[in-house]
Amino acid sequence: MVNEHIAESHEEAAMDRVGFGFWVYLMTDLLMFAVLFAVFAVLRDATHGGPSGQELFKLPFVLTETLILLTSSFTAGIGMLAAHRGIKSQVLTWFGLTFCLGLAFLGMELYEFAEFIHEGHTWQSNASLSSFFTLVGTHGLHITSGLLWMGTALVFIWKRGLNAPLVRKLTLLSLFWHFLDIVWIFIFTVVYLMAFV
Amino acid sequence: MSKELQNPKITPESQHVSLTPYVVGFVLSLVFTFIPYQLVVNEILTGNMLLAAIIGCAMIQLVIQVVFFLHLGREKKPRFNLVFLLGTIGIILVVVLGSIWIMNHLHHNMSATDVTDKVASDEAVRQIDGARVGTCAGVGTNHKIELKNDSVTPLRVEAKQCDTITFSNKGDATREIRFGTQADPETYAGESGETIRARRNKIFTLTELGTHAFYDPINNTVSGYFTVKR
Repeated sequence: MVNEHIAESHEEAAMDRVGFGFWVYLMTDLLMFAVLFAVFAVLRDATHGGPSGQELFKLPFVLTETLILLTSSFTAGIGMLAAHRGIKSQVLTWFGLTFCLGLAFLGMELYEFAEFIHEGHTWQSNASLSSFFTLVGTHGLHITSGLLWMGTALVFIWKRGLNAPLVRKLTLLSLFWHFLDIVWIFIFTVVYLMAFV
Repeated sequence: MSKELQNPKITPESQHVSLTPYVVGFVLSLVFTFIPYQLVVNEILTGNMLLAAIIGCAMIQLVIQVVFFLHLGREKKPRFNLVFLLGTIGIILVVVLGSIWIMNHLHHNMSATDVTDKVASDEAVRQIDGARVGTCAGVGTNHKIELKNDSVTPLRVEAKQCDTITFSNKGDATREIRFGTQADPETYAGESGETIRARRNKIFTLTELGTHAFYDPINNTVSGYFTVKR
């Protein structure tokens, strides 16, 4: 009985360490985004005679993207509740939904990029667009890796069922997903909304 | 119920989070997404007020998501995660605000026209592009000319040498202010004119004497005069 208790607290302590390590990773990742935000803030007006963000961005489109990502963050949270209670079918449903919403968001981001490039506004056009593509593209890359992670985790759960290590992985994944949502809120505000101020 | 018993002990009961914080967080996030969006789209606020409002909404969103989605408030002591977050925010403020501050100053002091203007005033240069500009030790009264879509108020400004004129663009479109008239463009104090974006101002020091006109090549109804006396 005593041994069991010690083993459990060891496991919990290990989980705390992993959780803290992942949190430290998120914070350093946040620092990288902060530097990209700073670059964008400095270079936003350096359009070299090209169109400004006000002329390029379509706000209703970006609002839709934001709502999709926000909802996916919510569904990931609900999925986590199901995971803690050990209900496999609900975990698959809610994280499956999160995955689809994430995929839709990524698709819209890529569609916007493709449209800009098609109109001749590439990352090589001017410093403003270079910093725009770098900042938003880096977020898109994070979303892509999050989707890969989520996809493999879902396959594992589907094949092998829920177990404690998988729930821990899902916990870290949902932290990552909420983190990307927060970064997007700032992209929505600083890049898109502030172009219209 | 039977499904829950399949795998009864994945997480200790004490760590269970209820649905409520997620729903509250989601609803609040939606609200603080729509507020800044409506402020911008419907132009309810403008300028710095708008800027402050949308940045404020983003900050509130940050707190909402950290509390309701990341559950940082539920962390056990010592709160290393919270400490690390606050430290990171500190570094971010230094990096972002510092970059903006320094780069704006560099831009002000080192862009080509600013350097020319500064040299001209520091070294008492009397001619730029062959026009007599004179120099001013200090400036006089400021006169304001408001450009509002198609109207110019006042149409005529009487000023003394070394006074300043502020062209204030209150409209939604960018204005191209050129000196002289459409038929006969001229330069004033060595400058042909200036682009003034919506809701921005541009100040000119009146160094050159005489009566001068200005106009907008894009919109003929925008034009006016100013007279500079000794």
